[in-house]
Amino acid sequence: MSAGRFALRSVQQKLIVMVLLCTLAAVLVAIAAMVAYDLRAYHTSWVADVTTQAELLGRTSAPALAFDDARVARENLELLRYRPEVRAAAIYDARGKLFASFSPAAGTQFPALPEGGGARVDGDELTLFKRVLGDGEILGTVYLRTHYALYDRLYGYLGIGAVAALLSILAAYLLSRRLQRAVTNPLRAIADMAQKVTHERDYSLRVQKLSDDEIGHLADAFNAMLAEIGRATLELQAANRELEREVGERGRAEQEVLRLNAELERRVVERTAQLEYTNRELESFCYAVSHDLRGPLRSIDGFSQALLQDCLPQLPADGQRFLQRIRASTQRMGQLIEDLLTLSKVSRSELRKLEIDVSDLARHAVAELAQREPARKVDVAVWDGMQAQADPRLLRAALENLVANAWKFTAKTEQPRIEIGCLRDGERSTYFVRDNGAGFDMAYADKLFGAFQRLHAEKDFPGTGIGLATVQRIVHRHGGRIWANAAQGKGATFFFTLAADATVREAANG
Amino acid sequence: MAAVITRLALWAALCLALPSWAQTQVQATDVQVKAAFLYKFGAYVEWPSQAFPAPDTPFTIGVLGADAVAEELEQVAAGRTVHGRPVTVRHLRRGEPLAGLQVLFVGQTQAARLEEILRSAKAQALLVVTDVADGLPNGSIINFVPVENKLRFDIAVATAERMQLRISARLLAVARRVVPG
Repeated sequence: MSAGRFALRSVQQKLIVMVLLCTLAAVLVAIAAMVAYDLRAYHTSWVADVTTQAELLGRTSAPALAFDDARVARENLELLRYRPEVRAAAIYDARGKLFASFSPAAGTQFPALPEGGGARVDGDELTLFKRVLGDGEILGTVYLRTHYALYDRLYGYLGIGAVAALLSILAAYLLSRRLQRAVTNPLRAIADMAQKVTHERDYSLRVQKLSDDEIGHLADAFNAMLAEIGRATLELQAANRELEREVGERGRAEQEVLRLNAELERRVVERTAQLEYTNRELESFCYAVSHDLRGPLRSIDGFSQALLQDCLPQLPADGQRFLQRIRASTQRMGQLIEDLLTLSKVSRSELRKLEIDVSDLARHAVAELAQREPARKVDVAVWDGMQAQADPRLLRAALENLVANAWKFTAKTEQPRIEIGCLRDGERSTYFVRDNGAGFDMAYADKLFGAFQRLHAEKDFPGTGIGLATVQRIVHRHGGRIWANAAQGKGATFFFTLAADATVREAANG
Repeated sequence: MAAVITRLALWAALCLALPSWAQTQVQATDVQVKAAFLYKFGAYVEWPSQAFPAPDTPFTIGVLGADAVAEELEQVAAGRTVHGRPVTVRHLRRGEPLAGLQVLFVGQTQAARLEEILRSAKAQALLVVTDVADGLPNGSIINFVPVENKLRFDIAVATAERMQLRISARLLAVARRVVPG
């Protein structure tokens, strides 16, 4: 509001100042013209007046000059005392000698000699010499020195002019204050309305058109602008509401998604907990069963052996053969239980990561196998310098399983070959165990790591079907991944990683 | 300095235009003054029209009994005019007729015989000027009076009126005395 009032006052002031300046200029010019005219008229008339006076004096004093009567001339001059403007008057005779003189003041100096005819202004005095002629002859010269009131008049006029200028400015000020309302009131109405519109945001307000001039047009334009703004504002508000609604909907949808996610996570956690619980139950059950099964099995095996050693002669041939079968079965079962316990331990035991020489582990595993079957000739290549961060006991178990698998499935190969190596890709190491053995059909690759899953007949390649499941569990416990590449009859390659880096986890998820 | 030279030059030019007596003699003699006055009186006096019968009738000043004045007057009046007429000077002898004169100056030697002289000019518009020490004699209109080394004059207005002469008030203003009778 204050800004609007200030702006209006400013226009008001500008108008008043304009009017005052114009008035002042007009008055000054008028006064200057009048003064110039008057001063010129004064000068002309005063010079004419004094000239006439001198002429008259000359005429009157011509006889006095002619008849050398200075007394008469002085008497004539003394008549000038009734003209107070005259400061000095004198008559010179034809020879230029001072003939008669007059001055109201004492001690006045007179020129020693008359000058040429004519008027001369000297400060505030007018000096005039006028020849006295009689019958074409110069009889003498009249000298007149009078007060020259030009400057007095000028100062007087300046005073009057100043007063007149002041009065006219005052009058102009009062008049323009009244008159300029015709201009500023409509402007003020528009400005006030603009303020009101800004404050109340009511675009239905309209300015009253007070005149049919430029300000009236301004009012019309302002009203049109208000209408336009009102329309635009309504549109904007509608768009805003629409946008708000959409935003609200989107928010609600996001909330729903978040809620569902949370629900899902909760359920995953629940299910995982359930699964873990079940797994633990199962494992402890499995462990208990395997552990408790070993006792009776050892008894069966032990007594079967005792029967074969001590009572062999009493047994018929069939009995002996059956006992041999019983022993083989108990030993296989013992192996099975052993493997199950290993698998169970892998899951239950704590992980202790150390720096391990993988090449060394692999060579040990190969050496153990070669010692168990010294008759077999297998070309084994183990790369040097393979390192890993892993639990030594678990990693050894995994490597033994994989190398034993390779050893087993190359049993029927002409020139068996096993290679154990490592591919490095930056920080990530991918270890592999490759053989040129029986291989398998990649169609069954997803069954490869399940417990008790076997891709070959027991009679071809004996085994419990728990080894690869154990390896997979070990690799998973290290946060790694295991997969295989093979073809039927053309060998197999098993790859595994141990690092739990992002790339590997991503690949595992994919 | 320039102003002084200008002023002197101007004054010199002024002096050249002056009558010869003014140029040659700074202190005018009594005779010179009287001659000048006689000539100058003409300008302040009006004569009736019959005083100048013809358009070219000269303005004639007669001088009786004052030869020095007459001679001086001849010099003064040479080439000059009064009322637009050339000025002539006549040396009068005793008994000479006064006809044709507009001004008559009677010197001191003849003043006692004034009435006799004027008898022949009764109806004539004649400005009679005398030079009598003890006042205006009867019949005279202007009489010279020396006052403090200066020449002054008295005027008898009534006598002038009788003579059909009109004397200018400006001349009366410079007269020592104006005598009504």
